Amino acid sequence: MPKLIIDDRIIEVVPGVKVIDAAEQLGIMIPRFCYHKALGSVGACRMCGVKFVDGPVMGIHMSCMVDAQDGMVVSTTDPEAVEFRKYVIEWLMLNHPHDCPVCDEGGHCLLQDTTVSGGHGIRRYPGQKRTYRDQYLGHLVAHEMNRCIHCYRCVRYYQEFSGYSDLGAFQIASRVYFGRFADGPLESPFAGNLIDICPTGVFTDLTTRYRVRRWDMERGDSVCIHCSLGCDTIAGARYREVLRQEARFSEHVNGWFICDRGRFGYQYESHENRPRAARICGSETEMDKTIDQASQKIDEIIKVWGPEAVACLGSSRSSLETQAMLAEFCQMKNIPGPVYFLDKSIANKVKSAVSRLDMQLALSMREIEDVDFILALGVDAINEAPMLALAMRQAVRNGALAVVADPRPVSLPFEFEHFALLPENLKDFLFALIKSAVNIEDIKPESNARGFAGALPEDYPGDQEMMDRIKLLAEKLRQSRKTAFICGTQGVTETLPDAVADAAQLFSHTKEKSGLFYVFPAANSFGAALWDNSDKRCFEDILDGIEQEKIKALIVVESNPVFHYPDRNRLEAVIKKLELFLVLDYLPSPTVTRAGMFIPSQTVFESGGSFINQEGRLQYAYPIHRGGIPNYQQSKGSHPERVYGLGIPGNDPKPSREILARIAGLIPNDATTRDSLEKFDYFGHPFFAWLNREEYPFDNIRIIPQKSQAEPYSASLNKDLMPMGNVIKLLLVDRTFGTEVLSAFSEPACKVESPPVVYMHPSDASQAEITEAEKICLTLPGGDLEVRLELKENMAEGIIVLPRHRQLFWQKCHSFDEWMAVYKTIKPSQS
Amino acid sequence: MKNWCQKDGQKPNEKYHYPQILLKNRKPDRILTLEEYRLDDGYAALEDTLKNLKPKEITQKIDEAGIRGRGGAGFPLGKKWLSIPDDAPFPRYFVVNCDEMEPGTFKDRVLLHTNPHNLIEAMIIAGYAISARKGFIFVRPSYETLSQILERELEIARQEGYLGENILGSGFSFDIVVHRSGGRYICGEATALLNAIQGKRPNPKQPPPYPTTRGMWDKPTVTNNVETIVWVPHVLRHGARWYKSLAATRTGEGTKLYCVSGKVNNPGCFELPMGTRLSEIIDVHAGGMIEGSEFKACIPGGASTRFLTRKYYDVEMDFDSFRMVGHRLGTAAIIVFDHKTCLVDATLNLMEFFARESCGWCTPCREGLPYICELLRKIENGDGKAEFVGILKEMSKFLWNSYCAFAPGAMSSLESLITYFEDEIFEHIWEKKCPFKV
Amino acid sequence: MISGELKEKLLKEILEAETPNEKAVDVMYELQKVYGWITDEAMSEASELLGMTLTELDELATFYNFLFREPVGKYVIHVCDSVVCWMNGYEVLLDHLKGRLGIGIGETTSDGLFTLLPVCCIGYCDRAPAMLINRRVHGNLTPEKIDTIIDQIRAKEQES
Ligand SMILES: Cc1cc2nc3c(=O)[nH]c(=O)nc-3n(C[C@H](O)[C@H](O)[C@H](O)COP(=O)(O)O)c2cc1C
Ligand code: SF4
Ligand code: FES
Repeated sequence: MPKLIIDDRIIEVVPGVKVIDAAEQLGIMIPRFCYHKALGSVGACRMCGVKFVDGPVMGIHMSCMVDAQDGMVVSTTDPEAVEFRKYVIEWLMLNHPHDCPVCDEGGHCLLQDTTVSGGHGIRRYPGQKRTYRDQYLGHLVAHEMNRCIHCYRCVRYYQEFSGYSDLGAFQIASRVYFGRFADGPLESPFAGNLIDICPTGVFTDLTTRYRVRRWDMERGDSVCIHCSLGCDTIAGARYREVLRQEARFSEHVNGWFICDRGRFGYQYESHENRPRAARICGSETEMDKTIDQASQKIDEIIKVWGPEAVACLGSSRSSLETQAMLAEFCQMKNIPGPVYFLDKSIANKVKSAVSRLDMQLALSMREIEDVDFILALGVDAINEAPMLALAMRQAVRNGALAVVADPRPVSLPFEFEHFALLPENLKDFLFALIKSAVNIEDIKPESNARGFAGALPEDYPGDQEMMDRIKLLAEKLRQSRKTAFICGTQGVTETLPDAVADAAQLFSHTKEKSGLFYVFPAANSFGAALWDNSDKRCFEDILDGIEQEKIKALIVVESNPVFHYPDRNRLEAVIKKLELFLVLDYLPSPTVTRAGMFIPSQTVFESGGSFINQEGRLQYAYPIHRGGIPNYQQSKGSHPERVYGLGIPGNDPKPSREILARIAGLIPNDATTRDSLEKFDYFGHPFFAWLNREEYPFDNIRIIPQKSQAEPYSASLNKDLMPMGNVIKLLLVDRTFGTEVLSAFSEPACKVESPPVVYMHPSDASQAEITEAEKICLTLPGGDLEVRLELKENMAEGIIVLPRHRQLFWQKCHSFDEWMAVYKTIKPSQS
Repeated sequence: MKNWCQKDGQKPNEKYHYPQILLKNRKPDRILTLEEYRLDDGYAALEDTLKNLKPKEITQKIDEAGIRGRGGAGFPLGKKWLSIPDDAPFPRYFVVNCDEMEPGTFKDRVLLHTNPHNLIEAMIIAGYAISARKGFIFVRPSYETLSQILERELEIARQEGYLGENILGSGFSFDIVVHRSGGRYICGEATALLNAIQGKRPNPKQPPPYPTTRGMWDKPTVTNNVETIVWVPHVLRHGARWYKSLAATRTGEGTKLYCVSGKVNNPGCFELPMGTRLSEIIDVHAGGMIEGSEFKACIPGGASTRFLTRKYYDVEMDFDSFRMVGHRLGTAAIIVFDHKTCLVDATLNLMEFFARESCGWCTPCREGLPYICELLRKIENGDGKAEFVGILKEMSKFLWNSYCAFAPGAMSSLESLITYFEDEIFEHIWEKKCPFKV
Repeated sequence: MISGELKEKLLKEILEAETPNEKAVDVMYELQKVYGWITDEAMSEASELLGMTLTELDELATFYNFLFREPVGKYVIHVCDSVVCWMNGYEVLLDHLKGRLGIGIGETTSDGLFTLLPVCCIGYCDRAPAMLINRRVHGNLTPEKIDTIIDQIRAKEQES
C-alpha cells in the first residue's frame, strides 16, 4: 500500500489511486476540470498541477495523472505550483465571456469557484475574445459555447461513458468546438447529464432557464420515482415549484448520473391542471369536509352492504408510507385487499422476485459495472429502466459480454448479443444455456444445486442452430468470473423470475460472484408486493364484483387505472355503477376526472416518502418544499405576485397517508397531523421486523434477508406453454418517454417523446400482407386502433410490440399480455 | 566519392568530402530504381537476415550499433524495439513517421526522393525483427508526389516478392501501406500519429501504456522516423563498428542529414558525419552567409529548438554535445538568421505556427500560445509594455507543463529569445517600434 | 453522387484496412476530388461507405488542414508562411498574389478558379519562398515566377 506525504500529512492509499484522490481523502481538494471520477483522468486541463518535491517523480505534474507511490512528497501549496495554477485559470478565462450574471450555472460553477480560489482577478490579456455560434440541441439542453473551457468532459461523457456519437469535438487549436454535426436534438436519453458534467455554463437546463439560481432553491435529497431503479437525486424548488431534479451521487445505485426521464420528468408536480382542491361530483369542495364525507360514505356502505362492498386500489408508485396506510385502512375496516397491481400476473411475478432476492444474490446497479458476463432476459433496459443500460455499458467497456434475450427490437448504447425470442421461449433459452455452461462436478455433492442442475432439460427445443449459438455462449459463461442475471417482470411468463433466480443461485457455486437483478414495473413495486393482497381479491375480481353489484365503493390511491387498464370501455361502465368512486392523487389524470369524490394528495416533493427499489434497497425522499400553486403560474411568468394573504394558495393537498388515516379515523380531523402520525408504524410488515423504528427515516438500507441455508431452486422445469394456431402475441411495453405515467404529465418529457408506434417483424408483416403502410390498423377486441408501423428485423417473429403511448387509445386490448388472433385482421390503413 | 550537395561550378575541397551512405545515390532529377539499388547491394541485407538471422538477433545487432532516433528525440532505436515484451500479442504494427512538418526540416523528403527502396527494405527487416505483419508510412499532404512514388515503388517491390505473403520463401509475411495525413503538425508526434492512422482525432496520448505494449488497435506498435530506420540494412551489412566510425565525434554515431535554410548561399540537405561542427556546415557546405549578411543566430534542430548564438558557432552537432551546452539537436535542421532579421518577429512567426497547429487538447498550449502571440505581436508593433516580458518569461516556463512535447518545443525559441535577446525585445518596447523596420 | 466505380474502389480499400476508420481521411480526400470540397452530400456518402457517423467524420474533417468543409476554387494556392519562407520574402509574395488575384486570404476568385490559403512549413525550406498549388510545390518564388504560373493556369483553363 503506497504511503505518501501530501502537504505535510501522511496518507496511505490502495495501489492505483491517483494523487488527486489521495489528497481528497485528506480533505485537500485540488482544483480540477477535466478529471471526474466517472470519466477518469486524461490530463487535459492542467488545473490540478502540484509540486512533487521528493520521491520517484519530481517537479510540477498533474495530480490526476500520477499514481500515488511510496515515498512521494507532494505540495499543493508550493509557490511554483500555485503560480502555475494561477496561469491555468487565467488561460481558461482569456476567452470566457464573463456573463455570469445571466448564466444559469452562476453560483454552482466550478469555473467561477476556481477563478476566485485560484486568485485570478485582474485581466491582463489584451487580445480579443474568441466567439462561437451556439447550436440548437433540442428541448432539454441549452448550448452556450462561448463559455467553454475545453475540458473535454462533455464528449468524454457523451461518447465514451454513455455510448452515443452525435456530440463531438470539432476543429483544432483554440477553435475546438463541442457540439453536433448540425443543429438538432441530442439523441441520447442521458443527454441531461451534460448539464451536471460541464464545469461551466456551456450546457445548462433549457427547460427552466433563467428561472432560478441554485443558492435560491430549497434543495434536498430525493429519489427518482420514474422507474424501479430508484436513482438518487437532488430536487430543488423555488417559489412553490420544483425547478430542477439533478443527479445525486450514489455509490450503490446510479453513480453520478441519471437519465433524462428522471431529470425532466418531475414537472407533473407543477402541472397547470394539477388538481389542488377536493371535489365532489365535479364541484370544488372544502378539504376537511370532503374527508369527513368520504369517511361517512364508506361507513354507510359498509353498514348497508358489508365491508366486502368496498374495494381499495393502491399503487406501486406510492411511497411505502402510503401503501402501508392503505393496508392499515383496509384492515381497520375489514375490507378485503388492498390491491396494488392491476395485473395479477405482474403481482405474482414481482412477489416471486421479491421472495427470491437475498443479500447474497442481489446485485446493486453499480455492481453490474463490474461483472464480465451479463445475461438479460425479458428486459429492454433503455425503455424500462434507462440507467441500467448505462451500467451495462460500463461493464461492456470493461470487457464484459452482454447477452439480451427479449422479443423486442432492443437497441442499447453498446455492443451486445441479441436473441429475439418470444417470452414463452426465454426460459428454454436460459435452461439450455446454463445446462451447457455448468459443470456439475464443480458443485458440492450434498447441495440442492446438483439436483437442480441435473434435472435441467438438455436442449433448446427443436432448434439445432439455436443450440449451437447457445453452446458458444455457454463457453463464455463458463469462463466468466462474475455474472449478472437480469430479469424483467413485464411481458415475461410467470415462471421466469424464479428460473432466473435459480440460475443465479446455481452459478454462485462456481463463480466469484453470481448476481441477480430484477427490473420491476414501477418505483415501489417492491413495497406494493409486500402489502398486496390480490391473492384474496385481485383487480379483476373487483371489476367482476362491481359488475355483479356486490361491490359498491372503489377507493383509488395514486393509481390511474383509466390509463393502465387494457379495457377502457369496461372500466368506464364499471365506474358508472359505483356508489362511491373515491380517488386520491396529485395528477390531472383521466381517473381523477372520472372520480365521484376526489381528494388532492401531495407529490413526493411535498410529502416525502420511502421507496424500495428493485434490488430491495430502502431509500427516503425528503420533502423539498411546502407546495402550493407556483408563484410563476399565478403571476403568469412576471414578477412574484403582489397579493398577500395568510396561508399558501392552493395548498390543500395533503399526504395520501394522512388523508387515509383521517378517513380511517386513525387520527381526528382536527389533530395536528405531525404528532398523531409520527406514532404510526409504517414498517409493521414482518419483512421489516429487524429495523429499528427509532431510526426512521431509513435511507440506503438493503432490507432483503440473508441467504437462507437451504437453497430453494423453486423454478418450474416445465416448458412455458405456447398456444397453437394462427395467433400472434400483442406485447404492451414501455418506452423511455411517452408511457411512464408521471413524466407523461411533465412538459419537457412530453416534448421529447416520439409519436406512437407499433413494431412488427418484416416476415410477420409480409404474411399479413402489409407492405409499406405509414399506418396500420389493428383490429383489437375493443375496436380498431390506428398506429404508425415500424418493421424491425431485430425483433421476434410472431409478436406485435405496442408501446402504451399516452397519446394512443390502446386500452382496447382487453388483456395485459395475451395471445390473440389479431393476426389475420391487421390491414394497411386507408388514411 | 562525389558529394552531391556541392553546386556545379563550385570547387569542392577534398578535406570536406565524406562518405555518403544515405544520399549516396542522389540524382538531381529522379529516384534510384529498384534495379539500381540491387546493383548497389540493395535488398541483400533483407535476403541475408530472412535466411540467417532470428528476429532477436537483428534487434541485438541494431541495439549494439546504438542508432539514435532522428525524429527529434534521439531515443535509441534498439531500445525501442526491445521494449516490446516477449509475450506481447499479435498482430503488431510498424510505423514510419514521414510527417516531417517541423519547420526547417526536409531531410526525409530528400532521402526518399533519393532512394525509396532503402526505406522499404528497412521496414521489412524491422517488421521481421518485431514480428509485425503490417507497416504504415505516414506521409504529410504536401509530399503528395512522394506518396505516389512510394506507392508505385511498393508495388514494384511487391511484384519482386519483397512484400506480401511468404517473402522470398522465408515464411515471413509483411505488407506496407502509405497512409496519407490530413495535414497537421501534431500528427508527427508519435502517439498522435497512431491516433491519426486509426482514424481518431490525432490528439497525443500520454503513456502508459506505451505504444510498444498497447499501440494501434491496442496492439504493440513501433514508430520510427524515416532517417532512423533507413540505417537498418546498412548496419546489418557493415556492422556496428563501421556505423559508429562514420561519425566525426565520439559522442556521435553514423552520418547525419543536416538541412540548412535561411540566409545562406547554398541551402540544402547534406549528409555529413554526425558531430560535424556547425561552423563547417554553414561556412563550407551551405556556402556561407549570403552577401551583406552576418550570422546572428540559428535554430539548429527545427522550430522546436532554442536559438543558438554566435557563442556556439563551433559546436559539434551531435545529440550529446548539444545537450552539454544546454541545447537540443532536434532534427538537425538549421535555420540561419542574419543581423538584419528581427528575432522578435521571427519568434512571433514561430509562435503563430505553433498556436495554429496546437491540437487543442490541453490548456497551456491551446490558450497560452495565442496569449503569447498577442503579447509578441503588440511588442513587435510597438504597443508592447515592459510587464509583457515578465509574463512571457513565466509562460515560457509554465508551458512546459503541457500534455505533450509540442508546447515545450514551442517554448524553446521564446525562452531563448528572452534569455539571449532580451535587449532586442526591450528596444521594441522603449522605441515603440520594431528597430528592424524602416 | 459518386460513381459506382469509385464507390467500389473505395469499398475495396476499406475492406483491406484494419478498420474502416483507418480509411476515413482517404475516403474524404477521394470525395473531395470529386466534389471540389467536402460537401454535406459527400459527408453522407463517406459516412455510408465507412459506417461512421457524420459527427465522427466531421471531428476529423474539421481537424485537418487539407480537407475542406467549405467551397474552394479549382486551384487551391497554399502559401507557406512559416519561418524560412517568411524570412525569404513571403510577405511580398503574398501581397503580390493578393493583388494579382484580387482576393484576400481565405477567399476565392469570382471565377471560382483560385483560393488563397496560408499553410505552415511545407518542407521546401531549401527553396523558400515556396507554395503549393493543388498540392504541387513551386519553390524559389519571385513575383515574376508567380505571374507566369498563374498565367499558365489561366491559359490552360481558357483552352478547355
Ligand atoms: C509536436 C511533435 C512533432 C513531431 N513531428 C515529427 C515528425 O514530423 N517526424 C518525426 O519523425 N518525428 C516527429 N516527432 C517525434 C516523434 O514523436 C517521435 O519521437 C519519432 O517519430 C520517433 O522516431 P525516432 O525514434 O526514429 O526518432 C515529433 C514530436 C513532437 C512532439
Ligand atoms: S501541448 Fe497540449 S494542446 Fe499542445 S499539442 Fe500537446 S496536447 Fe495538444
Ligand atoms: S484535472 Fe488533472 S489535468 Fe485536468
